[in-house]
Amino acid sequence: MIEKTVKIINSAGLHTRPAATIVKLAAKYESEFTIVKDGLNINGKSIIGVMTLAAEKGSDVTLSFEGDDEEEMCATIVEYFERGFDEL
Amino acid sequence: MSIYNPKHITRKSSISVEYFFNFAKNSFGLELFNPDSNLTREIKDQNLNRTGIALTGFLELFPENRVQIFGNTEYRYLRNLSDEQRKNAINRIFEYDIPCIVVTDNNTPTPDMIECAKSSRIPIFTSKFSTTKISYFMSDFLDDQFAPGISIHGSFVDVYGAGMLFVGKSGIGKSEVALDLIERGHRLVADDVVLITKKGEGILIGAGTNISEHFMEIRGIGIIDIRSMFGIRAIRFQKRLEVVIELEIWDKNKEYTRTGLDDTTINVMDIEVPYVRVPIVPGKNITVISEIIALNYLLKHYGYDAAKVFQNKLTDEIKRKSKSDRSVKYFEHDFE
Repeated sequence: MIEKTVKIINSAGLHTRPAATIVKLAAKYESEFTIVKDGLNINGKSIIGVMTLAAEKGSDVTLSFEGDDEEEMCATIVEYFERGFDEL
Repeated sequence: MSIYNPKHITRKSSISVEYFFNFAKNSFGLELFNPDSNLTREIKDQNLNRTGIALTGFLELFPENRVQIFGNTEYRYLRNLSDEQRKNAINRIFEYDIPCIVVTDNNTPTPDMIECAKSSRIPIFTSKFSTTKISYFMSDFLDDQFAPGISIHGSFVDVYGAGMLFVGKSGIGKSEVALDLIERGHRLVADDVVLITKKGEGILIGAGTNISEHFMEIRGIGIIDIRSMFGIRAIRFQKRLEVVIELEIWDKNKEYTRTGLDDTTINVMDIEVPYVRVPIVPGKNITVISEIIALNYLLKHYGYDAAKVFQNKLTDEIKRKSKSDRSVKYFEHDFE
């Protein structure tokens, strides 16, 4: 299992469009993907779950990946967070 | 085997006296006696403590993190003391870092208490209710506040009054089963993110989050809102968790129950909940099966267990046959 904490850096936060992109990216991999924020843990492959986080700019979220392709999955998702969901 | 990661269980370690008071004021008329006190103090224990024995001077195991109660017994005891003794008794309690004091049964704080509260700024509340009644109100609130909780990925539906949680891998069709159940008149509690809270001993309550409410994602369609689409009859806000159903792709190496005689359960925050694994195979109507699981659960709850009844019938029949066989053989050669 890989765990990584990332910061939301774009000003609009984790809104609908990036949430949809995250679940689409996640769906390409087999591994389990969980996001935790403020004690709420959700499945990263579910759009309602990701939107429920309502993660605002500056907040930290913890991503965890578990499965055969966890490393590739982690790299792809973390990179998307670091790009500020292409909104910088 | 678990349907959540135990390290994600959340539990409040404290609540502020102010938060407690805001609720208590509105729901059971608790009054603040000394408004200049410090309401940012923290309650770190869900239990209550009657100050009785501590007033007499026995302070071992004194639970200073709890709300402290002064009831009629304490007042009668204090009245029987000399002024000096009374002062000492009260001082003993105030020497601890207690969150707040609740004086019940229309009693008023004694001058010693008011004096001590002035320097320590410990809030003193008064209530017209008896100690038993106010304890019940406060415990109910505090138990709820300190209850452990977990968020689970699944769909939670009230099926014929049984709270059924569907879990399983992403894309296996949990939401589709929930939608199908709603179509048939059952009620959605939450989809995707289900918050489960442990209430009291042995009771789990499931609810949705404030944001996701009764929204749902159906693959290929997108986000839909069950409440506006099906109306108020199709939803509810919370429900006791009674059965966990795990949907999974049929695995021929796994054994699935055939008789239903051995009840399988799953541990959810130390509570054993009935658990059914339903394999998905083409042509199988999971919705109808879910309804049947709910009805069977209710039947068992009302004292009828179909598998056991069938088993008993079978045993009786076998017994009857072997008995009659033996008796015929025995009398056939009895010519006396």
